[in-house]
Amino acid sequence: MTSTMDRRALLTRAALGATGLVAASAMGSLAPEAAFATSAQAPDPGAPDPNFAEGLITGRNQDLLQVKGSDGRLHKIQLTGVTSIWKLRPTTIDQAMIGDGLYARGVKLPNGVLAAESVWLNIVNLDVMINSISRTGLNLDHFGQKIFGHVQEGVTAAAYNGTPAISDLSLLKVGRHVQVIGAWRPGTSEIDIATIYAAN
Amino acid sequence: MFAQQVAAAQPLLIGLLLLWTSYGKLANPEEAEKTALPKLVGEKRAKPAYRAIGIIEAALALALLSPPAWTAEVLAATALGLGFTGYLIYAKVVVPEASCGCAGKSAKPVGYRSIGRALLLTATAAVALTTTQGWWSAGPATFILIAEAAAFIALSPELDRYWLLPLRRLRVRLSHPLAGTASTTVPLAATERRVILSPAYRAVTGLLRSDVRDYWDEEDWRFVSYTARYDGRSATAVFAVPHSDSESVRVAVVDETSGQTLYRPALLSMAS
Amino acid sequence: MDVMYGLVGEASWFCCGNAWGPCASTGTGACGTCHSGNFQHAWTNTSDACYAITRPDNCGVTGVSRRGCGFRHATTNLCNGSRVVTSIADCGPRTRSFCGERACCGGTCASNRVIDLTPAAFTRIASLNAGLIPAGIDVG
Repeated sequence: MTSTMDRRALLTRAALGATGLVAASAMGSLAPEAAFATSAQAPDPGAPDPNFAEGLITGRNQDLLQVKGSDGRLHKIQLTGVTSIWKLRPTTIDQAMIGDGLYARGVKLPNGVLAAESVWLNIVNLDVMINSISRTGLNLDHFGQKIFGHVQEGVTAAAYNGTPAISDLSLLKVGRHVQVIGAWRPGTSEIDIATIYAAN
Repeated sequence: MFAQQVAAAQPLLIGLLLLWTSYGKLANPEEAEKTALPKLVGEKRAKPAYRAIGIIEAALALALLSPPAWTAEVLAATALGLGFTGYLIYAKVVVPEASCGCAGKSAKPVGYRSIGRALLLTATAAVALTTTQGWWSAGPATFILIAEAAAFIALSPELDRYWLLPLRRLRVRLSHPLAGTASTTVPLAATERRVILSPAYRAVTGLLRSDVRDYWDEEDWRFVSYTARYDGRSATAVFAVPHSDSESVRVAVVDETSGQTLYRPALLSMAS
Repeated sequence: MDVMYGLVGEASWFCCGNAWGPCASTGTGACGTCHSGNFQHAWTNTSDACYAITRPDNCGVTGVSRRGCGFRHATTNLCNGSRVVTSIADCGPRTRSFCGERACCGGTCASNRVIDLTPAAFTRIASLNAGLIPAGIDVG
């Protein structure tokens, strides 16, 4: 697969069923539940998971990240071409910057490096109250701490009462509790909002 | 003469204010934990200290409100106001996350408004020191207290929900600042949710090895791709999510190197 | 899925410990042990004070057992069958703020917030940006 466009074109055709199958008969034994049942939970409840890392990015050497965990542990995280990166939206591995907060899941290699499969940068999940609404975003009260949530056109969406998320934010109300998935702006008390869950 | 009366009226306001704040402390003594008191007097003594302040406030309030009018009462109120101001500045500097604990339940950290309110209390008590008359002889000067009370309310974060929030709510109802955000493009969050809840996702979930890697739109569909492993091979799982509700979500697993389609649960994609 | 769960509801995640950015829980949580990288969760009924905040009964979720710090629960993502066992480290989520939300997977529907997992535990069974998943909860 060469360029992004070629790759997308190929995947588009595959997903819509315009390509032939090579291994049609191999399926059946790979029921998802069976696949999960084989991977036993390694760490005990309450204990850290070696295949997971959390912390602030303190250094970057090409695609190897140095991360300082909030529990004091240091992590080395290898990004690859197949690592998914979320930073307000799915993005590319070059977006992992020094100072970003990080959660990563992958496979711990024998040399101690975590080969990342999924990385989430600056992601926060907050239970907040809407203090006021402006044209650029929401003033949020997070257990007494003031946080500004920027609305990003084309990204920010709201899910009202469990219905599918829509871009229309005009049903948000001042004084209501909402859950916000967003991307923290490092070193500030501001976030960019990805999804708002509001119950009415 | 009028200045005398204004000064004389102050104990009424101070008394009512202290009654309110003492009620908050005595009714919810557990609020002490959130304040700077545990740091100042120790964990064990925080709650008794908090309650003691409430009792002092209540006693002083009753003394101020009832005759006779003693200068000592007003002097005590001034000292209390100064004490509060000093304590709040200490809290803001030493324990920034501590709540005020001034009046009633509030998790908000000490802000400049709370400090301003303590200063205003000190100032009104100081003004009252200039007279020996009781508030019951203040006459029309009592109306000045309405303006002062408004200032106290404006400086009380605990009362915001009774006036500031409804005001903001009304503003948003009259003209919602985010009214222009509606668009026809489907947010990615909605697409991801549809994928996760679909039978197609359940059919390949054991193969997925990453979160969303890429997404794009083409005609009536949105496509979302994930890293996958299939039979030991490196692969990509690509979901096709229709913009309309009439079609169901489809998925294919494509070999990373050869680009060949390895798996496509055709039957599942038809079951909606 | 023909599995019966002790409790069916929505699961979300929260960060805790001395973490970066704004966190749902301050410090190491109500139990003093919570870290984002551990397999842990927040439970709505760890004490009277906790229950007064979460109030799942306000949404019609009754019979949530009183469980203390360290108690184990198993959370199963109803959309993919994956399961994680975690221990209680904090009080939450605030169920009463989100009454009535509902999502269905594989013929089972889940309503109301009943559990919050740490990022380490949540990523084991779902994606963080999914935010919210229908889940089945059992004693683990």
